[in-house]
Amino acid sequence: MEPTNLYPVKLYVYDLSKGLARRLSPIMLGKQLEGIWHTSIVVHKDEFFFGSGGISSCPPGGTLLGPPDSVVEVGSTEVTEEIFLEYLSSLGESLFRGEAYNLFEHNCNTFSNEVAQFLTGKKIPSYITDLPSEVLSTPFGQALRPLLDSIQIQPPGGNTFGRPNSQS
Amino acid sequence: MAGAREEAGDSRLVAGREPPPRIITVTAKTPQERQEFTLAENCSVREFKEQISMRLNCDVNRLVLIFTGKILRDQDTLSQRGVLDGTTVHLVVRNRFPGFTPSCHLTATPATSNQPIPGSNSTGSSPSTGAAGLLTRLGRIARGSPDLADFLGHLAQLLMAVPEAVVQFLDDPSIQGLLGETPSSTNPSGTGPGRLMAQPQTAPPAQAAETVPEALRSPALLRELLMLRADERGLGALKAVPGGDNALRQVYADIQQLMLTVPASAPRAKGPASLSGPSNSSSSAGPLRLGNVWPGAQGRVLGASTQATSPYSSSIPNLYMGLGPGSQDMSPTIGKGALPGPSAPSASALRNALNVLHQNPSLLHQLTAGSPLRPRLPLLPILTNPRALQAWLQIEQGLQTLSMEIPGLGPCLRGSGRPHGGHGGGLAGGSNSRVSSQQPTLAVLQLLQALAHASPNALQTPPPPPPLPPPPSEGRFQQELDQLKAMGFSNRDANLQALIATGGDIHAAIERLLGAPQA
Repeated sequence: MEPTNLYPVKLYVYDLSKGLARRLSPIMLGKQLEGIWHTSIVVHKDEFFFGSGGISSCPPGGTLLGPPDSVVEVGSTEVTEEIFLEYLSSLGESLFRGEAYNLFEHNCNTFSNEVAQFLTGKKIPSYITDLPSEVLSTPFGQALRPLLDSIQIQPPGGNTFGRPNSQS
Repeated sequence: MAGAREEAGDSRLVAGREPPPRIITVTAKTPQERQEFTLAENCSVREFKEQISMRLNCDVNRLVLIFTGKILRDQDTLSQRGVLDGTTVHLVVRNRFPGFTPSCHLTATPATSNQPIPGSNSTGSSPSTGAAGLLTRLGRIARGSPDLADFLGHLAQLLMAVPEAVVQFLDDPSIQGLLGETPSSTNPSGTGPGRLMAQPQTAPPAQAAETVPEALRSPALLRELLMLRADERGLGALKAVPGGDNALRQVYADIQQLMLTVPASAPRAKGPASLSGPSNSSSSAGPLRLGNVWPGAQGRVLGASTQATSPYSSSIPNLYMGLGPGSQDMSPTIGKGALPGPSAPSASALRNALNVLHQNPSLLHQLTAGSPLRPRLPLLPILTNPRALQAWLQIEQGLQTLSMEIPGLGPCLRGSGRPHGGHGGGLAGGSNSRVSSQQPTLAVLQLLQALAHASPNALQTPPPPPPLPPPPSEGRFQQELDQLKAMGFSNRDANLQALIATGGDIHAAIERLLGAPQA
């Protein structure tokens, strides 16, 4: 057996509300939310995330959000950078195009979950993926849904996996 | 009977015999779709791949199967790898045939690592070898890694490892022919390659080696060099290949990354002089304009600058880095130093300001955190538009006044429980925790305004520099605070709040502190 390289896979978790959600959610939603989570996958010394501009990458912690609020060790993968990048560009053309972004149904955490499963077979912690349904199960969330649906999040600082032949 | 046993799927009941292989259903998931396959659990990965290739109509050798993070090798069996009934295997169809691991020593590590390690990539390039030596090495690289992108990446590494050789290399007529420039072209307006070519001929090689990386550092130059010159040829073909764009971007990023690391090793004396040049001339984008100077490689520029940090703490690339991770002590005094002269767009003021930002990257996103407008705040337009910055400054000042006047309002606005005193907290009188937890948003905004005005393209008549931020409340009440502390009221924040509420009347403040223990 030839030796295979194992690359660590991490999940960077950011709280977009910077602590506000933890304080205000009991009042506004009636339930305690620890944060509004934005996540990204870090592997091969790069950070990958999904936003309204599509799949983007940057050096770890390189978005305007700064360093992550917490880091989760997802596991290790044998997938090489080459294969991974091909996979990502294929994802970016099919399932994770920029216009497919939806804050509730198909957001950065959906992407992180997908990629984590691809890379390691494991999912990301459920408190992150359950967030939209938690919010929507409150009357406040339901009331604001049309507004929230239109929110598009794209942390600046990354560069996007473009479609073929797209140069900005 | 054997069939019945298989259908029942419970062949272990049969004693003393090897259970026949079960048929399992495995799902293969690609980014586009998922398909189910039924096969025996002991069949090999290769057979699985063959089934897939028949169904999806693509070549077996281009399939890569991944399960729980491991790449499935052809000779394994499914059950060996734990692929059980009902599990999902990930499938990637490669665009190009996976390159054979090059036996050439030039590509010792898998082609995936793109870190610039000048000279250590076993190229063993010695500066004395001429262009011919370079070309043979290039030939070896080309043979070693069939992927064009890898080739270009290694090319860049090789070239940057020996700056003098770059000069010779570029001198070589065949290369110049490739780049579409004639050796005699002396375009005074300085199109990139023209200037590049002219340089080695006019300057001694040592200087040329420095100017070449410098010239190449300019993103516009780089873009022209790469895109316009070579675009019509191979790179154009590369772009046409789906997925080739990524490789291209990687190449650009690598090249630029390496370009940026070269000046790090250049003589330090050249640094400030050459930097204030680019920082003033290329600042047509404004010192803080993050977007689209080099869209393709911006992410990687961040990476590059983290490696090239040492001599150039105030260079433009580090401006980008400064917005990334990293946290050091606050040094608002430097920022204040930049404030008094916003109308003088001196490079040093700019550099100081950039220094502050560089050392306090958390400033900017504390900035966003501190403002109640945050959810809707498009940061970049605010920062680059002097009028917007001014307006925002006024808002922040108003909020600060409000929060001082009405302490109860402060927490709602700021989202933090502490009173918003302690401006310029780095000065004497601020406790450490205060300094770290209450970023002086106002000071930062003023700093940014100073930056915006320091930019040569600032159109607005700079407003008179705002007076030094109002003396910190605690400075006003310093005496009273000390008294309260001596009396045993250890909660400084509450003390301050009480003092503010009572307008400095210490007795009333004590009453307040004793009577209503709310922070």
